[in-house]
Amino acid sequence: MEPIQLKQDYWSYVKRQFKKNKRAVFSAWIVFILALVAIFADFIANEKPLAFKDQSGWHFPIVRAYGVDLGITKWPSGWTNIQWNNHHFEKVIYAPIPYSPTTQDYKNAQFTSPFGEQNISSKRWRHWLGTEALGRDVLAAMVHGTRIAFMVGLVSMFLATVIGIILGSLAGFFGDDRLKISRIGIIWTILLAIPAYFYAFQVRSYTLSEAIGNSFLDFAFQLLISFCILGLFGVLIYLLSKPFKKITWFAHQVNLPIDIIVQRLIEVLVSIPSLFLIIAIVAIAKPSIMLVMAVIGLTSWTEIARFIRAELLRVRNLEYIEAAHALGYSEIRTLFMHAIPNSISPVLITVAFGIASAILVEGYLSFIGIGIPPGTLTWGKLLSMSRSAPWWFAIAPGFAIFLMVTLFNLLGEGLTDALDPRQKK
Amino acid sequence: MFQYITKRILIFIPTLFVISLVTFMLSASVPGDPVEQMLGGGGAAGEIGQSSSKLASEKAYIEKRKQLGLDLPVFYFSLSNAATPDSLYKVYKRAYRENLEDLIHQYGNWPKIQKYYQAVQNLDLAVSDIKLDSQNGDAKIGMRDELYVLSTHANPLRIANSIGKMKKWMTIPSMEIVSKDFGKLLQSYSEMKDDPTTYKNYIPAIHFYGVHNQYHRWITKFAVGDFGISYQDGRPVKEAVWSAVGNTLFISIISIILTYLIAIPIGVFSAKNKGSIADQIVTTVLFILYSLPSFWVATLLITFLGGGDFLDWFPTYGLGNDFDTWGEKAMHYVLPLFCWTYAGLAFVSRQMRGAMINSLSQDYIRTSRAKGVTEGKVVWRHAFKNSLLPVITLFASVFPLAISGSIVLEIIFSIPGMGKLAFDALNARNYPVVFTVVMFSAIVTMLGYLVADICYALVDPRISYSSKKR
Repeated sequence: MEPIQLKQDYWSYVKRQFKKNKRAVFSAWIVFILALVAIFADFIANEKPLAFKDQSGWHFPIVRAYGVDLGITKWPSGWTNIQWNNHHFEKVIYAPIPYSPTTQDYKNAQFTSPFGEQNISSKRWRHWLGTEALGRDVLAAMVHGTRIAFMVGLVSMFLATVIGIILGSLAGFFGDDRLKISRIGIIWTILLAIPAYFYAFQVRSYTLSEAIGNSFLDFAFQLLISFCILGLFGVLIYLLSKPFKKITWFAHQVNLPIDIIVQRLIEVLVSIPSLFLIIAIVAIAKPSIMLVMAVIGLTSWTEIARFIRAELLRVRNLEYIEAAHALGYSEIRTLFMHAIPNSISPVLITVAFGIASAILVEGYLSFIGIGIPPGTLTWGKLLSMSRSAPWWFAIAPGFAIFLMVTLFNLLGEGLTDALDPRQKK
Repeated sequence: MFQYITKRILIFIPTLFVISLVTFMLSASVPGDPVEQMLGGGGAAGEIGQSSSKLASEKAYIEKRKQLGLDLPVFYFSLSNAATPDSLYKVYKRAYRENLEDLIHQYGNWPKIQKYYQAVQNLDLAVSDIKLDSQNGDAKIGMRDELYVLSTHANPLRIANSIGKMKKWMTIPSMEIVSKDFGKLLQSYSEMKDDPTTYKNYIPAIHFYGVHNQYHRWITKFAVGDFGISYQDGRPVKEAVWSAVGNTLFISIISIILTYLIAIPIGVFSAKNKGSIADQIVTTVLFILYSLPSFWVATLLITFLGGGDFLDWFPTYGLGNDFDTWGEKAMHYVLPLFCWTYAGLAFVSRQMRGAMINSLSQDYIRTSRAKGVTEGKVVWRHAFKNSLLPVITLFASVFPLAISGSIVLEIIFSIPGMGKLAFDALNARNYPVVFTVVMFSAIVTMLGYLVADICYALVDPRISYSSKKR
């Protein structure tokens, strides 16, 4: 092989290796299809028709629903009372599954079996996976559950990855003896830590708790403001320290044993069986999917942090880091621009396995009935209903969780082969 | 070695301290009032009686609160704002306390809020002393309801609505007696509303309470083995926790032993026949087992084998009682043990297979084959021994997995173990039990890690913990 190609070759090598693993490629395709199902869930299972025609022409109620949610348009006055499933349209195109997960079909309530007779006018309205106690369509709930499963897996692992990479890389790159901070910096940090916490979180606690109830975006935005306030205090500490640095005693640099701190933190977190911790937090707060995602993310970063730490312990002694030092780059720049990008790809493996376990944990939580608000149907919740249901009810939701977990585990294995040749046997 | 173990156990202490802080702080932000729950009463709206009976129930409330130690401040210090008084924790009813916090957030003028709160309470007492006659029955009950709304709601619209309703009832002749108190309420409300000092909410204030606080009391008692009393049944937590820890540990340890007993031969077998059809089948089956969610498997087993729509082979509830024979008791364990074991089984045998394949490809194996050592001896004496090491360290992760997994399985099979105990206690806001279980699960988990590290050292003489290098 030509050495000139080496630069772009890493990812194409990874791709080639990954493609060799047929099972992993196959899983990647199925995950892709399931992701499409999750994204277009509203168009696949919805009681509103995809399109219908009346006197004023064609309408697209599902598309319109997005507009209403975003606050761009409003519902036409007549629409709010329409019984979508039971209305005469001039022409109409229904969604493939003409039920929303909230639609209650009173005529087919009480666990109508998918195998037997159903009280329906035509095959179009058949409940292919039956219904639950209130007559909600199981297949529609399954389709919308896909979206929740993906969201839980991706959001919680995103959070875990961010925390894990930051803490792990600080610990690995700086170790116990390379992160230096001036005495005056420490003094101001200690003095200002309480006010910073007070203004960033305590003063805003009402706003924040209200935002949790509103929406994900609102909460993320409010949280961002809180972190900006924290950041401002960081700037303040920097500015306040500057004049004092002329005095030698204050300017003296002290080691911050960041590695020990991070390692202890990991040890504490690992010592509590995480499910106990998650259940404790989730049971105490108001049920919301967002909280579940946040808590899973906050408890599952340890694996990623350990991984990155070990990787950076190795990388920090390599020549290119020394070269960066010699060029006079700052530590932070070297870390974030050079060291992390070069050691980050194997994290994908942990993320893939992490998504699998996050989906599993969400399943656990909704199965025992905590964390997910009433009215939202997830796979785990469907499964928990099966305890008072006929036998066929437990099959679909359980299989869906199993499938998701297996797919992401297979992806993780494929990535291990492709990204981490050292682990290859 | 001894030194190392002591050191490790000493590290437990700060870790446990942090865990205790986390669990305790979590409980401080919980909705719900354990005292009211224990006394079995609802809100004040239900008490339509004389002021004497109201005072009596309040006295009972205060006494119970004191007995549970909930009358103390939560922690050594609290960070709040200048508008919040440091004695707010003394307001005994949780719902009232939270309402006062809301009012402080809105108006920030504590002396006036206090006056308003006092006026509401006084009027409530006065109203409950009014003698019932033919006209004032609805008014009296209505007043009490609205006053309860005032004690628990800070929204100005809601308050105005309640005051409006009360003004109507005040026109009834026999309600005259309380008009003075009602006047005071109106006055204090408008004073509070008209003169807010919300800027005080933005001034931080730290209050120190010393060692007379709930956390200190709990942690010092915990250290000497007094875990408090359960809010649910008033019995010592110790009794409930010991039997639960016993049940969970018993099942976990049996399942781990089973896991290793079955997993190691499977792993060795498929490594020896690497690439054969048998190996491929075993590997695939193990992979599927590994990804199967245990709560699904448990649900299916109960449905199909536990008296659902199909077979009724196994009991699915609890662990049997004292009247059962040994055989009947054993039947209770079959399904739970199966669910506990299979996932770990898949995990361990996959690792065993990997480790075995690794050792079988080493040079010393080729050497010993070349010098004519029998195949059995090569596999068991040379390769097996060397691949045991990574599998033993897995113990560290299998054990916490078994404990964590116990929550869901114990709930499904109604097994009185740690998981079910914690779950039930959480639902009932029974914090002494929750704390104790979380602490115990942490201790058990850390001991698991320690045992794994010691096994590691025993198996591999190259590993020495006495040197300084970690």
